[in-house]
Amino acid sequence: MAHDLTTQLAQLYRRLAFGASASELQRALGAGYAATAAALVAGLSQPDPGADTIATPAFMTPPADPAVLRSDPVARRQLQQQLSAERAELMGWWIARMVASTNPAREKLTLLLHAHFPTGISKVRYALYMYGQNQIFRTQGAGDFAALTQAVSTDPAMLIWLDAASDEASDPNENFARELMERFTMGIGSYTQADVRAAAYCFTGWRFNRRTGQFSIAPRQHSDAPQVFLGQSGINAGNQVIDLVTHSAASYRFIPSSFWSLLAAPTTPSSQVVSDLAPGYAADRSIANLLQAIVIHPDFLSTSTGDGLIKQPVEYVVGALRALGIPAGAAATSVRPLVTVLAEMGQVPFDPPSVGGWGQNTYWLSTAAALVRWKFADQVAREGDISVVADSAPAARLEAAGQLLSIPNWSATTASVLRRAPDPATMVALALVAPEYVSN
Amino acid sequence: MDTNPEKPSPAQPDPERPTAGTDAVARQLSRRRFLSLAAGGGALGAVLAALGPSAWLSVWDAAAAAEAKRSSSTSSSKAALGSQTGRTLVLLTLYGGNDGLNTVIPYENPAYAAARGPLAIDPTTVLPLGDGYGLHPSMPKLAALFKDSKLAIVQGVGFADPNYSHFESMDIWQTAVPSDPSGTGWLGRWLDATNSSPLRALNIGPVVPTALVGNRIQAAAIAPGPLVLPGTRGDQALYRELAATSSHMGTLQMEAAESCADLLEVDRTLGPVLDRDAGSTSAEASAGALAIANGGGQSSSGNVLATQLSVVANLILAEAPSEVYSVQLGGFDTHADQLPTQQTLLGDLDSAVSAFLDSISTTRRGRDTVVLVYTEFGRRLAGNASAGTDHGWANVAFVAGHSVKGGFFGDAPSLTDLSEGNMIYTTDFRSVYATVLEQVIGVAPSRLLDGKFPQLAFV
Repeated sequence: MAHDLTTQLAQLYRRLAFGASASELQRALGAGYAATAAALVAGLSQPDPGADTIATPAFMTPPADPAVLRSDPVARRQLQQQLSAERAELMGWWIARMVASTNPAREKLTLLLHAHFPTGISKVRYALYMYGQNQIFRTQGAGDFAALTQAVSTDPAMLIWLDAASDEASDPNENFARELMERFTMGIGSYTQADVRAAAYCFTGWRFNRRTGQFSIAPRQHSDAPQVFLGQSGINAGNQVIDLVTHSAASYRFIPSSFWSLLAAPTTPSSQVVSDLAPGYAADRSIANLLQAIVIHPDFLSTSTGDGLIKQPVEYVVGALRALGIPAGAAATSVRPLVTVLAEMGQVPFDPPSVGGWGQNTYWLSTAAALVRWKFADQVAREGDISVVADSAPAARLEAAGQLLSIPNWSATTASVLRRAPDPATMVALALVAPEYVSN
Repeated sequence: MDTNPEKPSPAQPDPERPTAGTDAVARQLSRRRFLSLAAGGGALGAVLAALGPSAWLSVWDAAAAAEAKRSSSTSSSKAALGSQTGRTLVLLTLYGGNDGLNTVIPYENPAYAAARGPLAIDPTTVLPLGDGYGLHPSMPKLAALFKDSKLAIVQGVGFADPNYSHFESMDIWQTAVPSDPSGTGWLGRWLDATNSSPLRALNIGPVVPTALVGNRIQAAAIAPGPLVLPGTRGDQALYRELAATSSHMGTLQMEAAESCADLLEVDRTLGPVLDRDAGSTSAEASAGALAIANGGGQSSSGNVLATQLSVVANLILAEAPSEVYSVQLGGFDTHADQLPTQQTLLGDLDSAVSAFLDSISTTRRGRDTVVLVYTEFGRRLAGNASAGTDHGWANVAFVAGHSVKGGFFGDAPSLTDLSEGNMIYTTDFRSVYATVLEQVIGVAPSRLLDGKFPQLAFV
């Protein structure tokens, strides 16, 4: 079934951004689908004046030697308190950026990359390091994925998260080597345990300066012994390993498959759509070009893709606040702390549950999450600007609610319920928990 | 981890494998769509024609069996919730791969100290259990339970051809299908096969693990704290209508609608108990939810497992209809600096489980409750140079409860006969499941597990 242009554009904005405002959608209708997609993708490497209105918190520089704190309980407690405050500031800062963004594709890609390289402050501890990684996603995320992987891998947050920073030549731990291949670049089944061991030796001695974050390789902890890795002999450096995995045939299918799953609908590296995308991706490994290829692929606008995703909690909360014109800072006081809302839905930004990150789709559809969504919807519908609905004639409200939330078509069931809502705020609250809005 | 992506796998279902083979097809169908199709013969016929009958046989068989089972007992749906054994299962998942060797410690075996070096637990601090094994020093209460014969320790649990991946290993444990761990959970299949209310199994926390996700039925989930629906009664009536699925919806939208319908069922059934027992302030409840969403572990303040188990205890004491509860604790992936991390986590496990069993000892239902503790894999025998341990193979599982027959089960893996430096499993983990399914849940394991597995005498 061919969708009309409004439906196609609304889906494009829901997937590549956090939904469209009425004026954005109006402009996009004039520009057409291809030009709108190209403009959104071009935004990935452009500034974001809206998000930049959110002040970046000043995060503490980690102490050079935390061991001194072991003997000083007072200083230790102070540090704990500061880290806990900074953690909340960091989370609030990013959510506020997403809500205020005027170039939302860039914040959306940052979010998708956080899902791809899940890294958690629960172990990294210092907000400064998590902020640093987040900036890498934002500023380098659209470029060459091989360069991005090198940058993320040599940055403090990942070095701590997957224990590379404590790795030594004698008997390396395998944590980073394994997840690099399994989760970040190639996918399970495209390497052996011997490859994991070989790679682990190559990453030994990877260190960073705790105060400057500067990456270095400690010669005495680094194993120089040449390894056979993915069939290549003479490999003994971590950057060689990253180069090989990001330029592998397996990766040329795994990365398009991963991003299709994040933006369109779950798929596997063996699918036809991945065969369509892989040659283009292999040519330049550009994430911007890959995203462009995904959203103009004919399957992207198919019916099954249209029902292919459930909004992640961050997408849900950010999308609703943007639609209703509620700045994140205001929501935090008038609604509820947004991080609490997100935690109750199961997704705390900067704090994935494990190295596996979050699941997708039905993962977000528990009864507990349904209740939190409903409470949140009820509050923001009463708090936010719903004048486009309230000011419409009763007969036109249903369509106005669709425009407000980037849902051009309601099902007959939903339409019938929304029409009987006693007031505009209740109509919007129910629209926000309708299956059409909960999906993406 | 417990990711549960909708996999649009076109794989041909295998009628020889009823428990897992229907997955590819049935995943494209949601619960109510199936039920409505099943109710209207004409529509079902059309779907059968489209999919091929073999795809449907097992789904149909399961539903028919459930129907037969229901009509042979009493006819009310309330009765269908009643446990077959009167027992309750609490499934406790440790995420990250707990180091079983430093949990149930072969402290008299010289190979242990030799391989573990500085990571070996000081033998003078180990809590002896007998047979040369002892518990980690931070687990005194579980050691007491063992002496009291209320803790079973299954040694050497695992499966063939492990591959060290957290995700695949956890999927294997949760689906119980090592050959294709992409499908339904082992208890999700039980929910499906018995056509259960989602409330028959209840996860504490916002994300339901794969173990409790079937093709048609996903276990319910609640957060700690009171359950209060927003809006007026009128709004709630409209929400109820919104939750009615429509055949015009796609599968995921239908699942979204179902989660809303299930929420109303949770509220109706458990709401009064949860509201009454919500002793904590909403701020405490939020902190608990935050910590649980974070997977617990190092970052959390307080014992998140204890928070979850206190909710379960209250529900069991209130005779809530759920027969399976799911709780979790994360942070066990100790590649570096293992000793302090594991000490904290095992201490949390020890105090939470023992307090839970204490608190439910006053009722028959509580005394018949069984806690199963498992994790995705054990860790390698030798430590690494980061004062940690890497992903390994065989491990231990715990089964605790007042009606449990305590002691050691399964053979402890050898510390010298290794494969790739790993201890080799001696007991298929599905033997544990088979025992739990038959003795705790009261269902024939052969219907839910892919094969026949000898049962263990721990219940």
